[in-house]
Amino acid sequence: MSAAGVSLDLMRELRAICGDEYVTERTSLADQPSPDDTVDLDKSALRSSSSISVSPASAEEVVAILRLANKRALGVTPVGWAANTLWPFGPTGVLLHINRLTHVEHYDYADLTVGVGAGTTVAQLNALVGPDKLMFACDPPLPERATIGGILATAAQGPMRHGYGALRDFCIGIRFVTGDGRKAKGGGRVVKNVAGYDLTKLLIGSHGTLGVITSASFKLFPAPRQTRTFLAEFATWQEALRFRDHVLRSPLAPICLELVSPRARKLMRPEMTEDVWVVCVRGSGSDAVLTRYRKELGSAVTRELGSEKEAEIWRAIENFPMSLPRVSITVDHWCYATINVPISEVGAAIQVLEGFATADGMGLIIIGRVGVGVLLVAHLASAADLMAKVVEAMAHRISRDCSIRQHGPGKVFPLTPTHLPSSTRAVKHALDPNNVLRGRELF
Amino acid sequence: MRSSALIQNLRAIAGRDAVLDRPEDLMLYEYDGGVRKHKPDAVVFPQNTEQVSRIVKLAASAGIPIVPRGAGTGLSGGAIPVQGGILIAFSRMNRILEVDAENMRAVVQPGVVNQTLSDSVAHLGLYFAPDPSSQKACTIGGNVAENSGGPHTLMYGVTVNHVTGLEVVLPTGEVVQLGGKAAESAGYDLTGFFVGSEGTLGIVTAATVKLLRRPERIATLLGIFETVDDGAKTVSAITAAGITPAALEMLDGWTLQTVEAFCHAGYPLDAGAVLLIELDGLAELVEEQADVVREVCLRQHAREVRRARDETERALLWKGRKNAFGALGRVAPAYYSQDGVVPRTQIPAVLQFIGAVSKKYGLRIGNIFHAGDGNLHPLILFDPRDPKQMEMVTQAGKDILLYCINAGGSITGEHGIGIEKRDLMPYLFSDGDLSVMQSLHDAFNPKSLLNPQKIFPTTRMCMETRGPASHPVLVQEGM
Repeated sequence: MSAAGVSLDLMRELRAICGDEYVTERTSLADQPSPDDTVDLDKSALRSSSSISVSPASAEEVVAILRLANKRALGVTPVGWAANTLWPFGPTGVLLHINRLTHVEHYDYADLTVGVGAGTTVAQLNALVGPDKLMFACDPPLPERATIGGILATAAQGPMRHGYGALRDFCIGIRFVTGDGRKAKGGGRVVKNVAGYDLTKLLIGSHGTLGVITSASFKLFPAPRQTRTFLAEFATWQEALRFRDHVLRSPLAPICLELVSPRARKLMRPEMTEDVWVVCVRGSGSDAVLTRYRKELGSAVTRELGSEKEAEIWRAIENFPMSLPRVSITVDHWCYATINVPISEVGAAIQVLEGFATADGMGLIIIGRVGVGVLLVAHLASAADLMAKVVEAMAHRISRDCSIRQHGPGKVFPLTPTHLPSSTRAVKHALDPNNVLRGRELF
Repeated sequence: MRSSALIQNLRAIAGRDAVLDRPEDLMLYEYDGGVRKHKPDAVVFPQNTEQVSRIVKLAASAGIPIVPRGAGTGLSGGAIPVQGGILIAFSRMNRILEVDAENMRAVVQPGVVNQTLSDSVAHLGLYFAPDPSSQKACTIGGNVAENSGGPHTLMYGVTVNHVTGLEVVLPTGEVVQLGGKAAESAGYDLTGFFVGSEGTLGIVTAATVKLLRRPERIATLLGIFETVDDGAKTVSAITAAGITPAALEMLDGWTLQTVEAFCHAGYPLDAGAVLLIELDGLAELVEEQADVVREVCLRQHAREVRRARDETERALLWKGRKNAFGALGRVAPAYYSQDGVVPRTQIPAVLQFIGAVSKKYGLRIGNIFHAGDGNLHPLILFDPRDPKQMEMVTQAGKDILLYCINAGGSITGEHGIGIEKRDLMPYLFSDGDLSVMQSLHDAFNPKSLLNPQKIFPTTRMCMETRGPASHPVLVQEGM
């Protein structure tokens, strides 16, 4: 829908639902207020072609908006504070902001559970539970902007994915509104619950194509009382992965286990000039436990970080994807993808990527949870269709278990070889039969 | 329903010796571990995915219901063929197809027994974490269908946390692959969605499951308490101390005596309750945590805290816990096990309520359960030959589950809904919630030929009895 196409009737109907001040015309995401203005974002990445922006205050208002969208055949894109700016925003009619859904549904600190509105940011959630020495165990980029609804919809993750699992492992309940405007819930607020279909699993990672998440409940974890980060540097990724295998076979259970390529390291820390692959191991526990880490990790460890230095490196790794738009202005094209592989195939995946990096003359920019087979890969390249070539090469070299999801400028890359179109379409049709929610982009 | 043509067709697909249709044979497949029964019209034992697909196509073309069945140890009636039809038994699809130690994965057929999988990879220092009490008999296919748990799910999660890929035969007979060996896949998480769908969306013919590395150190503690209340309060005190044990189980005094008489596990006969607490991981960490747990127990008035000195003692303590259901079966003709869940801080209150229900109906109720995650298993003893008792047992079970819902909990933590609890679903989910689940059901299984009459209520409840959570909730608007 073009700006000129916004009818007064539609604006009136949306204002009747949400109130005058919460419906605006021709708003770009870049113009939205930030929950934390100190966050440095490249707002050019936030442009949206949406012509109406609406901010509901309740699930009931979301229901009304989606029913209206179905009636008028409008496309709707749910969005939080746009922390995941690398996800492209396609053409759409209504930008549905979840930012006002910030209520606390329950906080049972003695049960280690919490339920909050989808517009709550990760930083706000941690501020709520932190005083009780608890934490929310997902550390996505830009926690001050990343909303609960946004991280669930995109199955976001950070380095703690290694030690605490993915959102699907500790999201215990979800409330949402389906594309056709029905309120629904899956799970609940207890840590063990198998009643009914597990709708939380369907909504997590569905990228807002099945429903608008309005709130969610989570297991919380005790915050570590003490942590240390051990850095081991290697000349080649092969040596780095051998060290990873050593860690995985040891009795250690680190919170984070991250690989950083030489080029990625330089992006994060320009003063670092050595061409080394770094494996970062973050352990937690008492002095005795950390002493055991030193013993098990041995002489491969070249540096040990604590307190502010340690926090700094993990912030840089968490926010790594957000540094790419800034860098991209110096090259013609760039792309960024998440690659999931079985851990034994991490090396094969790097080898494929390395071939492209060498041919292109650019460094290989990789960070990744190599203990669980998740690589975040960026290419600053001269070829616009580079990622398509990478996928093609991977299809020949990596097993069918590999999947690639491209972020960044351009369209969403065709998802995964193990994807199942017929079942995926069946699920989409069951919850969003009129294809109101971002369906035009994915299907 | 049981036409000779159908039986002939099934034999043509699976083999002459792979189909049962005589009434005396069918009787063996009319029940599970619960209290409901219904005979299938035929039982077939496929040996591969292609046969399953052909059986499903045959049934679809004839409009005959199909019910998949693992070992029949389920407690919610998930494998009961309530409309008759074809029962697909997976006892001949029991091969471990692949053990990939490097990726810590196994690919298994649905009929593989849970314990067998762990035994098969023990030499690699690996195991499969979900450990239902029936793990010596129950199958991975059944675990996937019901999203089964077990004592160690407190730390490691239920089955869905350990499945990364599935091969599924859809109700059309189409064979699809979901997920794989990678920890995550792009696209909708259909693997996660299918786990726990109780065989109503498709039939699992292979599962890719995670294997975990055996921990370096295990400490098994037995906290002995004079009262149930002290034991119950200790559960959340341990969590509040920042410790998540691998397992945290509770047995009440009467159950202890009954189990001890059967298993000779070394449980105290005069205690009000015990907590069986297991810690595992890095040796240094486990020793520190064991000290803290001991301290917490003593602070909560534990009479004594024992620690298993070796693997033999540990195995004995677990033998008592895992055989408890069988032990209680010795003192009554039948028992009815419930599976409600409450927030763990509500355990003291719910145990008092169960005591009141026991008195109200004059029924003996033993408590042996996964206290760490608030998953109750009140075992109601009764005589099924007495119709009045049967009615009271059903009502007592319902009273307990409604209490769990009102305490902010759920009606099942690991057994599934099946037919047993389907009519309680409207107490937990609104009509809107159920209609969304029904849409998804119909997207895959529109004629409901695949495991019919499971999960979804057959009647709508009296809506006014539903109420909001009654326990204290901190509500904070607009943070």
